[in-house]
Amino acid sequence: MTPFNLTQFYADWATILPECFLLLWACVITGAAVLGRTDESKSGTFAIWTIIGTLATAVWVAVTQDGAAFGGTFVFDRLAVVFKEVILAGVILTAAASVGTVSRLRAHRGEYYGMILFSAVGMMLMVSATELLTLYIALELSTVTLFVLAAYHKTNRKSAEAGLKYVILGGISSAILLYGVAILYGLTGTTELARISQGIQRQFMASGSFPPGLALALLLILAGFGFKLALAPFHMWAPDVYEGAPTPITAFLSVASKAAALAAFLRVFFVGGQPAQLIWIQAIAALAALAMIVGNATAIVQTNIKRMLAYSSVAQIGYMLVGAVALDPWGATSISYYAMAYLFANMGAFVCVIAFAERTGSEEISDFSGLSRRSPILAGFFALFLLSLAGVPPTAGFLAKYYVFAAAIQKGYLWLVLVGVATSVVALYYYATVIMKMYFPAEQTEGGFPVARTLTIVLAVSALGVLLLGILPGPVVDWIKAAAQSFVPPT
Amino acid sequence: MADQFIFWVAAIVAIIAAIRVVILKNAVLSVLHLIVTLIALAVLFLQLSAEFIAALQIIVYAGAIMVLFLFIVMLLNLRKDEFGRDQLPWLRLLGTLAGAAFLAELISLIGGGRVMAATVPDGFGSVRSIGIALFGEYMFPFELTSLLLVAAVLAAVVVARRKSSNEVDAAPPAGSEGEA
Amino acid sequence: MLELDKLVKLVGDGIEAVVTALGLGPTWVTLVQLIVAALVVVVFAALVVLFLVWWERKVSARFQMRLGPMRVGWHGTIQTIADALKLLQKELITPANVDRGIYFWAPVVTFVAAMAVYVTVPFGKGLIVRDLNIGILYILSITTFTVIGLLMAGWSSNNKYALLGGFRSAAQVVSYEVPMALAIVAVVMLTQTLSMGEIVSQQAKFYQWYIWRQPLGFLIYLVAATAECNRTPFDLPEADSELVAGFVTEYSGMKFAMFFLAEFLNMFTVAAIATTLFFGGWNGPFLPSWMWFLIKTLAGVFVLMWFRWTYPRLRVDQLMSFAWKFLLPLAFINIVLTGLGIYIFRP
Repeated sequence: MTPFNLTQFYADWATILPECFLLLWACVITGAAVLGRTDESKSGTFAIWTIIGTLATAVWVAVTQDGAAFGGTFVFDRLAVVFKEVILAGVILTAAASVGTVSRLRAHRGEYYGMILFSAVGMMLMVSATELLTLYIALELSTVTLFVLAAYHKTNRKSAEAGLKYVILGGISSAILLYGVAILYGLTGTTELARISQGIQRQFMASGSFPPGLALALLLILAGFGFKLALAPFHMWAPDVYEGAPTPITAFLSVASKAAALAAFLRVFFVGGQPAQLIWIQAIAALAALAMIVGNATAIVQTNIKRMLAYSSVAQIGYMLVGAVALDPWGATSISYYAMAYLFANMGAFVCVIAFAERTGSEEISDFSGLSRRSPILAGFFALFLLSLAGVPPTAGFLAKYYVFAAAIQKGYLWLVLVGVATSVVALYYYATVIMKMYFPAEQTEGGFPVARTLTIVLAVSALGVLLLGILPGPVVDWIKAAAQSFVPPT
Repeated sequence: MADQFIFWVAAIVAIIAAIRVVILKNAVLSVLHLIVTLIALAVLFLQLSAEFIAALQIIVYAGAIMVLFLFIVMLLNLRKDEFGRDQLPWLRLLGTLAGAAFLAELISLIGGGRVMAATVPDGFGSVRSIGIALFGEYMFPFELTSLLLVAAVLAAVVVARRKSSNEVDAAPPAGSEGEA
Repeated sequence: MLELDKLVKLVGDGIEAVVTALGLGPTWVTLVQLIVAALVVVVFAALVVLFLVWWERKVSARFQMRLGPMRVGWHGTIQTIADALKLLQKELITPANVDRGIYFWAPVVTFVAAMAVYVTVPFGKGLIVRDLNIGILYILSITTFTVIGLLMAGWSSNNKYALLGGFRSAAQVVSYEVPMALAIVAVVMLTQTLSMGEIVSQQAKFYQWYIWRQPLGFLIYLVAATAECNRTPFDLPEADSELVAGFVTEYSGMKFAMFFLAEFLNMFTVAAIATTLFFGGWNGPFLPSWMWFLIKTLAGVFVLMWFRWTYPRLRVDQLMSFAWKFLLPLAFINIVLTGLGIYIFRP
C-alpha cells in the first residue's frame, strides 16, 4: 500500500469535483422535494442551473487538472471531457424539455429533476471510469434512477410496463456484463483496462494464442453493452420502454444514457480489448450491420412516432458502431462526432414529439398530417431533425455518416459500408414519409397551436447544433480528434 | 480427499438446487432452493479459503436479501393458475440451448488446461486483506457503491411513496393525465 | 481445580489413538473428533434447555408471588423431563392443507440453525469445538437461518395466525439484526479479531472487560438480542393473545418441541455471546472457567426473563420504528464514538 499523500488526495478529489458538485445539488433537490420544503416548480430551474454550474466546474477541471485519479480508476482525459459535455448538454435539454411534462404530474415533481441529476452523475462517472468495477457501479447508478423515471407515470399501464421491462432487462444485462468482467478478471487478474490490455498481450506473446475464455468474456461484455445501447439483437426492450416512458425521459434515455454507454464501450474495447481485436471486431461489424437492417426495417411499419424513433435509434447505434471497426483514432473520432450529431437531432426530434403531444394528446404518425399548416415552426424543426437523422446534407447527420463510413472503408470494410448506405436509403424513406405527411396532407386538418416557450428554446438550440455541426464541423472535429488520439493506443 | 468429497457434495447440491430454482412452478420453493444454492456456494468459498466472503455471502444473501424475497413472494402468494398460459414456449428451448452452449464453452475453458492452480498468499481471504483491498486499491468504486445505494433508496422512495394528502386535494380529476 | 481442558485433550487423543489403530487417516480422526464434540454439544444443549424451561417457570412464578412447579422432583426439578416425555409421545398431526415439504423442513432448519452456533462458542478454557477465525461473523450468519425457518413454518402452515406470526418475526429479526451486528462491529473494532477464543483471552482481567469500553454497544446489543429471541417486550410473533401461538400454531409433538428447543437455545446463545463479547467470557478467579461461563451466561438469561415480567408488549409499528429510527442511529453513533476513541487513545 502506498502511504497517504495529502497532495494526491486533494488532486484526486479536485478531479471529480464536477461530479461532487452535481451530486450535492442532486441530493439537495431530491431531499427538498422528499421533505416537501420547496416550491416544486422551481426545481427545474434549479436543476438547469446546477448543470450549468457542473459544466463550468468540468471546464475548470479540464483546464487545471489532468490525468488519472484514485490510483488510475478514474481519468479526466479529453475523451471524458468530450462525452461529459455531450451528456451535460443532453441533461440540460432534457430538463428544459421536461417543464411541461412535470407541471402536469400530480406528485413528485421535484424528485423528477433529482433523479435526472443522479442519473447524470452516474453517466459522468461512467465516461471517466478506466476500471471495470468503477465502470459497472457508475453504470448501475445511471440506470437505477432511470428505471424510476421510465415508470414515472406509475398509474399509466404503459409507463409502469416500461419501468418493469427496463428493470428486468437492465438487471439481466448487468448480470451478463458482470459475468464477462468476472471472466476477464480471472484471465488477467486485474480490472484496470490498461493492465487488462497488457495482460492479454503478454499471454498472446507467451503462447501465440489468446487465452481460452477471452472470446467468451468479450462477447458477454459486448452483449451487456448491447443491451444498454439497445443494439440489435438486444434491442427488444427499447420500443416498449421508449413508448411507455414520459417523452423527455425517452429523449434522455436515447441520448445521454447512450452517449455514456458509448464512451464506456469505447474505453473497454479500444483500450482494454485492443490487443484482442481479432476476436471482437468481426462480431461488432456483424452486430452493426444487424442493427442497421433490423432497426430501419422495423421502423418503417411503425404507426407510433415514439416507437418509430425507438427503432430508428437502434439503427443509429448501428451506424455509430460502423466507426468502431476502424480501431484507430479516426474511428473513435467518427463515433464521438456521430454521438454529438445524434444528440442534437434525436433530442430535437423527441422534443418535437413532446410539443406535439402536449397540444394534441397524440403520438400517432398519422396525426402529424398537415402539421405545416397548424404549426409551421414545429413542422420545420421536426423536418430538420428527421433529415439530420436520415443523413441529408447540410445537417450534422450527413457528415456523421460520412465520417463513420470513411473510417470503415479505410480499414477495408466495404461490405459494411454498403449495408450502411443501403439502409440509409430505407431510413430516408420512413423519415421522408413523416415529412411528406406534415407538408402534403391528404386532407386538411384545422386548428393551429403555439409551441411552449421553453420547448421552442430547446428546439432552437438543437437546430443550431445540428446546423453548426453540419456546416462548420472543423473546430469540433479537431477537438474530438485530439481527444481520440490521446486515448486510443497507437496501432 | 475430504476436501474433494466436500467440494463434490457442495457443487452438486448447488447445481441441482439451481436447476430446481428455474424449473419449479412454486415460487416459494424456488426461493428456498435459491437459498440452498447460496449456502452451497458459501461452502465452496470456504474451500477456497475465503472465509470472510463465505460468511458475508450467508449474512447478506441468505440473511437479508433472500428473507426479503421470501417475504414478497409469500405476500404475493402466486398460485399456478395465475401464471397464465406459457406465451413463448420456444423461448424455453432457446434458453436451454443457450445454457448448454455456455456450459460447453466453460467446460472447454476449464478443460483446456491453461487454467492452473495458483498458490494462495499468506492471509488471503482474511478480513484484513479484504479490508486493505477495499479501502486501498478499490477505494473509489467502494465509495461509489454508497452513492449507488443512496440513489437506489431515493428511487425506491419515489416509486413507493404515496401521495400526501394535500397533493391529492390539489390534483385534477382522475383520468386527465396518465390514464390514456 | 475442575478444569475440563485436560479431559477434552485426553478424549481427543484417545479418539486419535483408536482411529489410527483402525488404520484410518487423519481426516477420519478429525471427523470422529468432530462427531463426538457435536454429540457432546447436543447433549449439553438439551440439558440447558431442560434447565431453562424449569427455571423460566420458577422465575415467572416468583415474580408473580407463586411457587411454580413443585410436584415432580425436588421443587419440580424433573417437571420438564416429564413434560418432554409427554410431548414426545404425542401424535404428530400434519394438517390437511399444509405445504408438506416446507412444513417438514421448517422446524429442522430452525433447530439446526440454533444448534450450529455452538461450534464456536467458548464454553471454557479449551472448551470450544472450533475456534474459527471468522467466529462472531459465523454466529451472525448462522442465526439468520432461524428467520428462514420461521418464515417457512408460517407460510407452509396455511393458517392466517401462523402466517402473520411468521411475517412479524421475520420483519422483526431482520430489523433488529442490523443494530445488533453494528453493536458487535464496535466491539470488533476494539478486539481487532473475529475469533471468539481470542476475544475472550483479551479480557483476562476484570477491568479489561469490553463492557467498560462499550457500555452503549452493550445496551444496543441487549435490546436487539431480546428482540432477536422474540422475547417480551418484543414477543409479537407469538403474541398468544392475538395470534394463538404464531408460527407454531399448526405444529404438534416432536416438531413443536424442536421450535421450543430452538427458542430456548437462542436465549442461551445471545447470553453466551454477550458473556464472550462484553463480560470476559470464561475468565474469572477461583472457580473453574466453564463454571464462570455458565454463571455469567445464566445471569444474562435471567435478565431476559426479568424483562418479560417488567415490560409490556410493544405494538408492531412501535417495534419497527424503534429499531430503525432509534436503535440503528444509536448504533452508528456508537461506532463513530468507538472510532474516535481508538483514534484519540492510539498508542
